[in-house]
Amino acid sequence: MEGYRREAVWDPFTRAWHWVLAASVITGWMLGEFRTFSIMQWHIYLGYLTGALLVLRYVWGWVGPAPVRHRTLLASLRGMPAYVRRIGARRPSGVPGHNPVGALSVIAMVLALTAQVVTGLFSQDDALFYSGPLASEVSSDTVVMMTGYHNLFARVVLVLVALHLAAILYYLVWKRENLVASMWHGRKWVKDRATRGE
Amino acid sequence: MHSVARWTLAVVGLTLAFTASAAKDPNEKAIKARQAVMTLQSWYAGPLFQMAKGDMDYDAGSASVYAMALHTMVTVKGDMMWPPGTDSDAYPDKSRTLPELWSNWPAVGEKGQALLDASAALAEVAGDGLDALRSKVGAVGQACKGCHDDFRAD
Repeated sequence: MEGYRREAVWDPFTRAWHWVLAASVITGWMLGEFRTFSIMQWHIYLGYLTGALLVLRYVWGWVGPAPVRHRTLLASLRGMPAYVRRIGARRPSGVPGHNPVGALSVIAMVLALTAQVVTGLFSQDDALFYSGPLASEVSSDTVVMMTGYHNLFARVVLVLVALHLAAILYYLVWKRENLVASMWHGRKWVKDRATRGE
Repeated sequence: MHSVARWTLAVVGLTLAFTASAAKDPNEKAIKARQAVMTLQSWYAGPLFQMAKGDMDYDAGSASVYAMALHTMVTVKGDMMWPPGTDSDAYPDKSRTLPELWSNWPAVGEKGQALLDASAALAEVAGDGLDALRSKVGAVGQACKGCHDDFRAD
């Protein structure tokens, strides 16, 4: 592709993390949404798994490679106006990491999932008699409030996942870049430094 | 000074009157009554679910007693505890019952019947061993949840 090079952008940990997180969140959501007495415990286990993955991601953002660093994500946001102006162009973004909207989406997703895991710890289902491990430590009013937020954030996460998939599809069909494959093998179209103006 | 005393009296009198009228509000009494029934149902159901989960040792005698008591609480005649106008919009801090409850009567009745069937089935077998308890307890939770999902505010 003219002006682009194929570069290894996503490290193996980030790729594995992404797919395990996707599986954990989708399964966890389903087990929560369609919960019964006999499967509720698995919803809680997947909440722990998601929480552990989030902790790893926060750490990886400090010690991991450049494309996934917190600092890189925040820096990417500054390119938002320029990126949005050219968002309709039928070519890959060429960013050696998350494009600005993608960075915003990652931040929103990680924060929403964090909120979901934290509120889950204090939530309860008083019909199935299951509760998060910390629900017994707080007042019943707090538990009711946390459970409400847990239900609310579940919808927020769903919306973010839908936007995520829509953006992937937009890239695939309109911008002719397969980002799913990139998240699998790690290689991504990156603009030559000359064309990036560096 | 006279006017201050009069105002104080008026405020105290009005406060007392409001407090008294609040306590006598039949709607609030109904809300309290149905919440009391819910509390008791939950109190009897709790140990049964804990036994089923393995959080509490199974005991045939108490399982049977709790399940029968739960079923008794489910059979409590409750229609009059849900007068119209006692929804979470009218009593935001006191009631969590969504207004939809009053516009979905056939569905509400079916959900009530589902709970009645489930608690009857549970009461019948709760003393017959842990596996028997486990096989019927989930349906009770599902029946509770079915109504909470649709008609209870978060």
